[in-house]
Amino acid sequence: MSTSMHGVAFRKVSKSYGAVTALRPLDLEIQPGEFLTLLGPSGSGKTTLLNIAAGFLDPDGGQVVIGSRDVTALPPRARNVGMVFQNYALFPHLSVFENVAYGLRVRRVADAELRSRVDTALTLVQLGEFGKRAINQLSGGQQQRVALARAMVIEPDLLLMDEPLGALDRQLRKHVQLEIRRLHNEKPRTTIYVTHDQEEALVMSDRVAIMRNGRIEQIGTPLELYDQPRNAYIASFLGESNLLPVHVDDASSGQVGFKVEGYAGAWSLPGGAAPLERGVALLLARPETIRPAAEDAPGLEAIVEETVHLGELVATRLRLNTGQMVWMRRMNAPPHELGKRIRIMWDPAKARLLPEEKSP
Amino acid sequence: MSGRFQRRSILGEIVGGLVLAFLVMPILAVVPASVNNASFIKIPPEAYSIRWYGQFFGDASWVASLANSAEVAVLATVFSVTIGTSAAIGIERLPSGLRSLAVGLVLSPLIVPVIMISISLYYVTRTIGLYGTPVGLALSHSLLCLPFVVLNVGVSLKRLDPNLVRAAEGLGAGPWRVFRTVTFPAIVPGLVGGATFAFVTSFDEVVISIFIAGYGAKTLPVKLWEQIRVEFTPVAAVASTVILGLTMVLFVLGRRVTMKKAAAVGTEDAWR
Repeated sequence: MSTSMHGVAFRKVSKSYGAVTALRPLDLEIQPGEFLTLLGPSGSGKTTLLNIAAGFLDPDGGQVVIGSRDVTALPPRARNVGMVFQNYALFPHLSVFENVAYGLRVRRVADAELRSRVDTALTLVQLGEFGKRAINQLSGGQQQRVALARAMVIEPDLLLMDEPLGALDRQLRKHVQLEIRRLHNEKPRTTIYVTHDQEEALVMSDRVAIMRNGRIEQIGTPLELYDQPRNAYIASFLGESNLLPVHVDDASSGQVGFKVEGYAGAWSLPGGAAPLERGVALLLARPETIRPAAEDAPGLEAIVEETVHLGELVATRLRLNTGQMVWMRRMNAPPHELGKRIRIMWDPAKARLLPEEKSP
Repeated sequence: MSGRFQRRSILGEIVGGLVLAFLVMPILAVVPASVNNASFIKIPPEAYSIRWYGQFFGDASWVASLANSAEVAVLATVFSVTIGTSAAIGIERLPSGLRSLAVGLVLSPLIVPVIMISISLYYVTRTIGLYGTPVGLALSHSLLCLPFVVLNVGVSLKRLDPNLVRAAEGLGAGPWRVFRTVTFPAIVPGLVGGATFAFVTSFDEVVISIFIAGYGAKTLPVKLWEQIRVEFTPVAAVASTVILGLTMVLFVLGRRVTMKKAAAVGTEDAWR
């Protein structure tokens, strides 16, 4: 057991490839033992940041600090960082055991200790009996776990994972997600996990950093990001969302007054984290926070277009006056008749006003 | 329409077969010629005998030239595999513009007329005292062997997943260890392929050898060439058969090693 865990800090780290900026000067702190996920579409800079952490790429500027050590100028072999690659990158000519043992042999660990540490690592990923196998005798999921064992057995100060589940089928992916989280719970180690799969990020992470165009758009726990997205990009990236164009009339006080496009009547909501100005904005209402309005309470009129049964959940697609479609999702609710006009209302405690999305 | 195509393809097969026959027959003709009982070359032989083989292996000068050939070929293989592998690894890391320049330079001995290479090497080896030595001849042959090594190893290197190297580096391995444990096992098929080509190229090389070999490093092809100018006996056919046989055995062996390694490592055959 490693006695001390290390935090990681990126300070003003930047990188460009020719004219293409991969990372704008970026600051990021990861707590000791924290599982942090970098989430974003391809080209958002998440893999660049990971490769800079591993030492495979040199940043143009800034510092990478692991624990109290500035590792910016150190080669990968001097960093004590474990890496799990998307394509596993297992050594094809070595057995499972020797693959896992590789980092220990480099460190000249004595034979008896090496044997027991490799066996422990393989048992941890439930491959205890597979040591003698050749790599090409393993399934994709098993190879993935060997890669994990190989990265963890060296007791890295920082564990990096680059879309390690990308090549697995959906069923297996869910299983391994929970498996990785279980391993992390049993023995927390500072981890940076890169993915473009929001579900993966939500299931496994302590915190998620959502990246776009070489910068971190928002960072927080999965719940914070889901409940308090800073902008429409975050809202639509994590979970399903209805974004209704609104017109803000009054943003001067704590209560923001606004009109919904296509409807008469004024509404108000508490102001969010992002400052709003008069003018166009977006109202975020998650499908599960929309419900039919009470008899004589205010609401938006909409036409039922489609109902989908997802077990106990009923999802209803509704067309607003503007033609925009919104989804409403409710538990154990009687389905609405198709084509029927109903009035809907958002949960004022959950709905949020977000600044209009400017194209980057 | 279809009849015309068919006729054409049959014609193509006949022409192709003839071309192949013209190319291969003279080579294979040395085999029956070498087991001829008569004192002159005659195909097909009227009576069979292996007495010319006895004469070949009983003659010290033939055996010495065979030994010279083997020594030079082994040296040339070692030289070209060492230099060629380093070159291939270096070339792989060059930026693309420089890379094609470097590849062109390495391949140029295949394009430059061998007679020109021979004449310049003749002067160079004389000046630096390598003329007529096995090492001098082997170095000269390495020029022709290098392209095969660089190309074969280069193909293997291209197939090497760069993440394997990164994984090893990340686990703490230094450059030498990465080469020994990751790069080398991956390029073994290309190495064996390149080495086979190098050996065979040196073993039956004649033009450079005539200029450089002198007395000290007279190889089998040179001895054969000298012999044929004087008299054309079935011993020459024996010598040719020995070269042919050795070359074929080496190719088959090299190919088998390459395929076995390729299967074990899971990469494709570098020769394909």
